[in-house]
Order: sequence, then C-alpha cells, then structure tokens
Amino acid sequence: MNCDEAQELITALVDRELRGPERSSLEVHLAECARCRLAREEEQALKQAIQRAGQSILAPDGLRDRILSNPNIFPEKRRSARSWRDYVWPTTPMLRPALAIVLLLVLALPTFYLFKQTGEPIAFAALHTYDLFLRGELPVHRVENPKEIEAQLTSAVGGRFHPMGYDLTAMNLQPVAGLVREIQGRKILVAIYQGQGGSLFCYTFLGSEKDIPPNAARFFDAEKKMNFYAFSRGTVNAVFHREGEVICILVSAMPMGELLALAEAKAKPS
Amino acid sequence: MLHLDHLYRVAFHLAKDQNEAQDLVQETFARALAAYDQFKLGTNMKAWLTKILHNFFLDRFHTSKRWISVDDSTNQESDQWGRLAAENPGPESHVLFRELNSQITDALRKIPEEFRTSIVLVDMADFSYEEAAEILACPIGTIRSRLSRGRRLLHKHLKDYIGVKKDRD
Repeated sequence: MNCDEAQELITALVDRELRGPERSSLEVHLAECARCRLAREEEQALKQAIQRAGQSILAPDGLRDRILSNPNIFPEKRRSARSWRDYVWPTTPMLRPALAIVLLLVLALPTFYLFKQTGEPIAFAALHTYDLFLRGELPVHRVENPKEIEAQLTSAVGGRFHPMGYDLTAMNLQPVAGLVREIQGRKILVAIYQGQGGSLFCYTFLGSEKDIPPNAARFFDAEKKMNFYAFSRGTVNAVFHREGEVICILVSAMPMGELLALAEAKAKPS
Repeated sequence: MLHLDHLYRVAFHLAKDQNEAQDLVQETFARALAAYDQFKLGTNMKAWLTKILHNFFLDRFHTSKRWISVDDSTNQESDQWGRLAAENPGPESHVLFRELNSQITDALRKIPEEFRTSIVLVDMADFSYEEAAEILACPIGTIRSRLSRGRRLLHKHLKDYIGVKKDRD
C-alpha cells in the first residue's frame, strides 16, 4: 500500500468505518509510515473541530414557535377550519347574522356551564404537574421497587385500573416514584421515570375522547389503528392515547418525535 | 422539538443562509407530517427527516437555479456567530473556539456541495456512512471518497487554524 492508497482508508479509520482486511493493511502501513500517521492525526483533529463547530450552531429563537404556529404544518387543522366555512357558514351573507344568533342561543349557556364544570383539561394539568416536578415544587415519595409503585397506585383507585407501566430501560429511564392526583374529581395515576435519559411522566386515568386537549395534532398509526395526539407547552411535550376507557399521557422534555415514537411503540390496541 | 437544532444545522450548511435554512426546516416538518404514515416505527427518524430536508433542498435550490457560487462569501455567517457569542458569553477560550468555528463555516462554504454535504452529515450530524449514503442516495464508497477529498480541501483552508504538527518526515 502506498500513501495515496492509504488516504481514503485513513478517512474511514478516523470515522471508525474501517474493518477487515482494509483495516489490517492500513495498520501495517501506518506502523511503517510517519507521514500517514501524521495525516491521521491531522484528520482526527479536523474532524473534532468540525464536530465542535457543528454543535455550536443552534436553531434561532422563535423558529420552534413559527413551526408550531405554521398552518401548513398542520393540514388537518386547516382542513377542519375550511370545512366549517364551506359546509356550515351560509354562503348568503344576509343569513349569517341569523345563524350567529341561533348558534349563540344553542351553544352559549351549555358551553358556559361546561367550562365552569371542567376548567382546565386534564391533559394541560399534566403538563403543569411535570413542570412543577422539574422545578422541585412537587413532593413525591420515591421507592426502590417499581412493583411497589404499581401496587400503591393501583390500590389508590381501588383496583379499577392500573397505571400504564413501561419498560424504558433501553432509554436509560427507570421508574422512581408514583403519585396520585385528583383533578376535577377524577383520580390520575402518575408514574415518574428518571435516569440519564432525562425524566418522563406517564399519566393514567379513566376517560374518553373528550379528554383530548384542544389543538392537539393527531397522528394515526395505521398498523395499530390507533390515534395519538401530540401537544406541548414551552419545552414540555406530551402524547395522548386511549386504550379502551383508559387514557395514557406521556409527558417529557424529550423531542416530540421520539416521544410520539415511544407512545406508538408501547401502546396496545384496545 | 424533533431534532430541530440538528435539522437547522444541516440546513444552514446546505443553504448557506439563515433565512433559507429556516424555510428549509419549516418545510421539512410540513412534509414530514404530511408523509408521517410512510415513516416506519423503529427506524431512524433523524435520518428520515434529514433525507426529506435534503430532497427539498435539491428541489428548491437546484431546480430554481438559486444556488450561489461555491466561492461566494457573504457576511451572513458572521451574524450567526455574533448571535451565539451574545447568547453564550464565556472565557477567552470560547472566543478562540468561536474564531475557529467561524473559519470552519467559512471553509465549508468554499468547498463543492457534494463534499460539504457528506462532511456535514457524517461529522456534524454524526451519521454513519450507511445512513449518509441512504440520505444522499449514493453508494457508501462515494461517501468515503467525498469525505476524504472534502476534508483534504478543508484542511488546505484551515491549516493555519487547526493545531497540527509541522515535523513531517
């Protein structure tokens, strides 16, 4: 092997992509050639400098918000807005005030009543709880044994349902604590996972599609034939899904795509 | 959010322009969500998103002939580093790193696109050769070759900045 032939192999060696006979030949050559050893060191230094330069570039402030508020990124919402205008709103302008009054009469009082009853959706309360935990303002009882968490939580709801427990060790997350919250008279079981992978809350409660937070983006898993709803507040992301009458909300600061993939991977069709 | 910094980083080096990079990222998310049912669970979402971004970049910049010369040099990257400096004040070593980072960005702008793209994917985005080849729809050997040639070109531009020994045999 000459130095010209070695150049490309040095690149692959630096990238840890060189194996087998090519690697053996290069190692023999490097043992004999100081020039190529220096070339390897130079390329390694260059690669590290490029990596550092890359890590320094971050998305500008505001790009995330622009994406979340971009109607082109949520076509379903856009379609549903159009369908209201296309199918409900009268095309004759003169009829619009009349329809507005009727809608007001039909909807105003019940809507007011419902809002008074329900307050903030449970899904948003879940985000708030996670936020409190991150700020250290949520006292939790930590236990060593994950089974103890499940037993305590199940007992808190008289065994009517169980907390959705996931094995997240592959993501460096272990169950560390559990707590029960009562929101709007409904008991919410919260399993808390922590580890090198950050922290993740898993909320379990009895509910229905009515608990889907408004403006959540819907994702349909064709394989499992299940809907997943993604929503976020600040840097906290959440994914909602339903297995029968049991609702699960995963909340974490991990990227939405990963959280969504996790929920989809773990969910069981009801 | 879903690999936002990573996508912006790749877009920034492809487009060489902050505004274009933001457009690329936004459109990438729009296309990804529209085609979400094509994403296979358990596969690499970061690579999938990057492929969408790269394809859109090719569509947008190459078909519309908006691509600028590889020797083109503007001050846009200075804004980026200036912003980072303002947000991350630090010791003097940070200033030195910033200078080097700025030089690397400048040097990347001066090398041909196919070399730059391979370097950005493998060195900055930490993709394997196989993943980079899948994203760029080319053989793995081509990635290796482009990286080797691209780094040699980069080294020529950066030899005054990267600490290397001078005592070649």
